[in-house]
Amino acid sequence: MYKHTGSRGSGAPGWVLQRITGLLLVIVVIGHYFVMHADPASGHTYAAVLERMHHPLWKMFDLTFITVGLWHGLNGTWGIFRDYKMKPAVSLTIYGVIILSGIAFWVLGVNTILSF
Amino acid sequence: MAYQPKPPDGWLKTNLRYYKHPGSWAWILHRITGLGLTAYIFVHIYALTTLTQGPKAFDDEMKLFSTPVFKVLEWLLFSLVLYHAFNGVRIVLVDWANGAKYHKKILTVVYGLGVVLFIGMGILMFREPIANMFASLK
Repeated sequence: MYKHTGSRGSGAPGWVLQRITGLLLVIVVIGHYFVMHADPASGHTYAAVLERMHHPLWKMFDLTFITVGLWHGLNGTWGIFRDYKMKPAVSLTIYGVIILSGIAFWVLGVNTILSF
Repeated sequence: MAYQPKPPDGWLKTNLRYYKHPGSWAWILHRITGLGLTAYIFVHIYALTTLTQGPKAFDDEMKLFSTPVFKVLEWLLFSLVLYHAFNGVRIVLVDWANGAKYHKKILTVVYGLGVVLFIGMGILMFREPIANMFASLK
């Protein structure tokens, strides 16, 4: 039956990591909003981004943010689908789309950060 | 157990029929906001790829994102962030602490803190139009 529901393992590592990454994102995303989105005049020009990207710490922060954020979002999405019984082909397709879109957009984001 | 691709009434009807405890609403909202935020991170990553096309492409895009419609959408998005973040903390407290005993009280805090920070962010984001509005009243 596990084969049909698309869940092979117990899901425990994903469950624990979802909580750990979630706690991290609570601070990071709300902080990101106050720093980047509270004031439209702050840091939204190319020059300001270039200035930030000269610091390796900002780059590291953004790379971590993009990785953790995407993983948390896609692991959560898969968690929702796992709650429903699906035909194997449907399950495999959804899982494939999640993995491939995750990798594609991770590469896209990392490429943007490392282009500086 | 026989393999059933769908509940007898279909998954939508079955889901709608569930008794909606405040905790079930919290669960439903957590999923909807989570899917919304995941969709948004894709848009966010894609939108920022203009950074690789030089200053003009990026600054032009940022001009578009500074228009009132986008500012309001940006503000509304914050409500998803706040709800998902604080309800997420509630989930962790239920799973890893004694939160199950107080989960309804924590839920009140989730909604309360969310509304306060949402309004606070609105005041911060729209401080100029708000100030102009009050100035024109004098």
